[in-house]
Amino acid sequence: MSLRRLIGFNLLSAVVLGVAGFYAGWWLGHQITGPSIAYFSATNQNDIALFVAYLVGVVGFLVGLGFANYPVQRLLGKPPTLREKEQQGAARYFGLCTDHKVVGIQYLLGIGAFIFIGGLNAMLIRFELMRPTHLVWNGNNYLTLVGVHGTMMMGMMTSGILGPFANYFVPLMIGARRMAFPRIEALTFWLLMAAGTILMTTFAFGGFPTGWTGYAPLNEQANMGMDAYIAFFALVGLSMTLLGLNMLATVITMRAPGMTWGRLPIFVWATVSTSVLMLLAAPVLISALLMLTMDRAAQTSFFNDQAGGSSYLYENLFWFFGHPEVYILALPGMGILLEILPVFSRKPLWGYRLAVTGMLGIGLMSFLVWQHHLFVSGINADVRPFYMLSTEIISLPTGFIFICALGTLWKGRIRATVPMLFSLAWLFNFLIGGLSGVFLSDVPSDVTTHGSFFSMAHFHYTIMGGLLFAFFAGIYYWVPKMTGYNFNERLGKWHFWIMFLAFNSTFGPLLVIGFLGMPRRVVTYAGYLQGANDWVSVSAFVLGASMLIFLANLIWSQVFARVPTGVNPWGSKSIEWQLPSPVPVHNFDRIPTFGSDPYPYGEDAGSMLAQRPVVSPARPTP
Amino acid sequence: MSELAHHSTDYSVVESESPQVMARNLRVASQLWASATVFFFFAFLFAYFYLRSLNSQHLWHPHTVKAPVGLGTVITACVVVSALAGWYAARRLEAGDERSWRSAGIAALALGLAAVVLQIVEFWTIGFGPTEGGFASVFLGWTGLYILFVLGTMYWLETLLATSFRYRGAGAAGHEPGEASGDPGRTGDDIDRPISLVRPGAGAFAFYWAVLAVIGVATWLILYLL
Repeated sequence: MSLRRLIGFNLLSAVVLGVAGFYAGWWLGHQITGPSIAYFSATNQNDIALFVAYLVGVVGFLVGLGFANYPVQRLLGKPPTLREKEQQGAARYFGLCTDHKVVGIQYLLGIGAFIFIGGLNAMLIRFELMRPTHLVWNGNNYLTLVGVHGTMMMGMMTSGILGPFANYFVPLMIGARRMAFPRIEALTFWLLMAAGTILMTTFAFGGFPTGWTGYAPLNEQANMGMDAYIAFFALVGLSMTLLGLNMLATVITMRAPGMTWGRLPIFVWATVSTSVLMLLAAPVLISALLMLTMDRAAQTSFFNDQAGGSSYLYENLFWFFGHPEVYILALPGMGILLEILPVFSRKPLWGYRLAVTGMLGIGLMSFLVWQHHLFVSGINADVRPFYMLSTEIISLPTGFIFICALGTLWKGRIRATVPMLFSLAWLFNFLIGGLSGVFLSDVPSDVTTHGSFFSMAHFHYTIMGGLLFAFFAGIYYWVPKMTGYNFNERLGKWHFWIMFLAFNSTFGPLLVIGFLGMPRRVVTYAGYLQGANDWVSVSAFVLGASMLIFLANLIWSQVFARVPTGVNPWGSKSIEWQLPSPVPVHNFDRIPTFGSDPYPYGEDAGSMLAQRPVVSPARPTP
Repeated sequence: MSELAHHSTDYSVVESESPQVMARNLRVASQLWASATVFFFFAFLFAYFYLRSLNSQHLWHPHTVKAPVGLGTVITACVVVSALAGWYAARRLEAGDERSWRSAGIAALALGLAAVVLQIVEFWTIGFGPTEGGFASVFLGWTGLYILFVLGTMYWLETLLATSFRYRGAGAAGHEPGEASGDPGRTGDDIDRPISLVRPGAGAFAFYWAVLAVIGVATWLILYLL
């Protein structure tokens, strides 16, 4: 590789400028505060320096990738270009690339790496809990582990499905050559990578004790590790807002002829409803975190009860984002489920309109339930019934999804492929998650289960059991199209069965342990719960080991074995499976015209395309 | 082998994209971004009324904390008149009057930047600090972030005006496809004739700037007058 390529706009330049920016910001922050730090900083530590360091570091990182070129060009009145680095070769994965397919793969690998780190934290947590007293870590370190695990998973997985799969496949599914704003698409990914790196620096600044929710007043009293949490979530929020905007703009404006709203693949509908939530909920999170930043760095008193603020303000703002976020995590999984079931049942999607109504209903309702997280926080008792009712009602549109899934499976010719197995497991896990959620939505039972391992097991059933299983269903289903190489089916099934059994062996008992009174985020517990906790820990280790099987399969099948996928190994009617594997840079030689929805299984129509064959007018390159 | 696409297809012969697509993208994105902005400031609105109703330690709004109504009114007036000028400029461009677009656009830019400068002056002379209760916190946070949005929107307007000035008088054949962008594979009208994207861009800008001005008026009513 030539020196010229090394010093261009790429990941290497980004890292160098990012680190240099961090230290420049650190120095600048100290110059700003100078001797008056006691005035500026509420906690007698130089939070300003760290915030400025993170800010300048992120700016340097983005400049190194080449994100400043376009705004500067536009400032000078130069016209836009839509293609940056849309060439072939591995280098395009290590920089700013406006090809939505490259960004999708970047997301898959980048988010996968951070999820792996979050998973390692979970293993460390379960190791600590093998004894009812301290085993390895003290209380503060344990809380930091729990906090980083939760924050990393909840933050990164917001884009866990939309990032890789929606970026890659939504333009294909609607017959477009690109996303509406390709540069913003790339920016959302790199913001997320910067965010994940920042969160890891919390260990260097003492960690944070608040868990992923970052509640006040602890968030104001915590040491500088809390600043990493704030910067992380603010960047994730910005990334989510832009991702949602870009997805919505793409689906609204770039659909090919014949791709009416009533023909959109159900995964695209899931993307639309998720994007609405991202666009409207994430800005509230960013606002709350900016208020917290001002409290910590400039001594405002938004969340300081002693100085005219209120810690409940943070809790309200956080959950106004936080509960829609649960559905930001769940809805894409539902989309994958309903996309995959017709393919492996050889039946049209049952209740297409009902499923769409369910997804949009979930999105709307998710803004009306956030106070159920505050039932035991001293809220006015008069508002509890409304939020109890709204939380219970949200199970109705969720039920629509289940009905559509079961209706599709009914009398279908089911093929137990690996993606199908993960989809069926989704149904089982999410059902347990939903049923256990009823106990948390009802005030009387929430009073006893809130803050216990019961609620922790509940949301792991919904989020990990829902999202992560759908994520793997998506990987086994779509990655062969993305790379052009099949997975090893046998290893995939080993991965599935071990993961499914270990997952339920881990979180099923935790529901019981929670009922027996074990609280969350406490490093010690009653001695009589040790046996159950040991069982859970061993199950969690097996669950972790199942990820190693997946990694082995990924490396073996995609690097060494390399069995070509072919165009359509699953026999899908959806348009992405009518394209070569992997998909060419320009997606389509000619923009296609659609004649039906993508689920004409068992019907006379052979394809969703109105014009077949769609022959390229283009001449091949010599 | 797929019939829809081939790896061997030369990108340069792929059909060009209609310029209407990018124009629609800009309009829709402007509306979506406006909704996100409304929700961003909704958090501050919620904070205002929440903290005001709680009045923790009777420190919501000490008597020593007084919002400078005069300066705040001038800042809001600058924003509102700038938004009106921006709307007028976009309308003139729509009608094909590029000269009026540029004049009104410059006026909108100047007024928007004046609002930013006046906000800095207000912070410099305000007479109370961030430590003085809930209202002071909401006031400084809300107005400070609002003016950052104004600054970003003025950047957007500047890019439109800069393109407009750079390519004024250039006809459709004035530039070879891809010449300006260094992108020979792209033959879209926006590259061939960059000015063609200024019109939808101006419309999208005018809409967003109007929404931001409405937020500015709400900010003024709540923080300075209520």
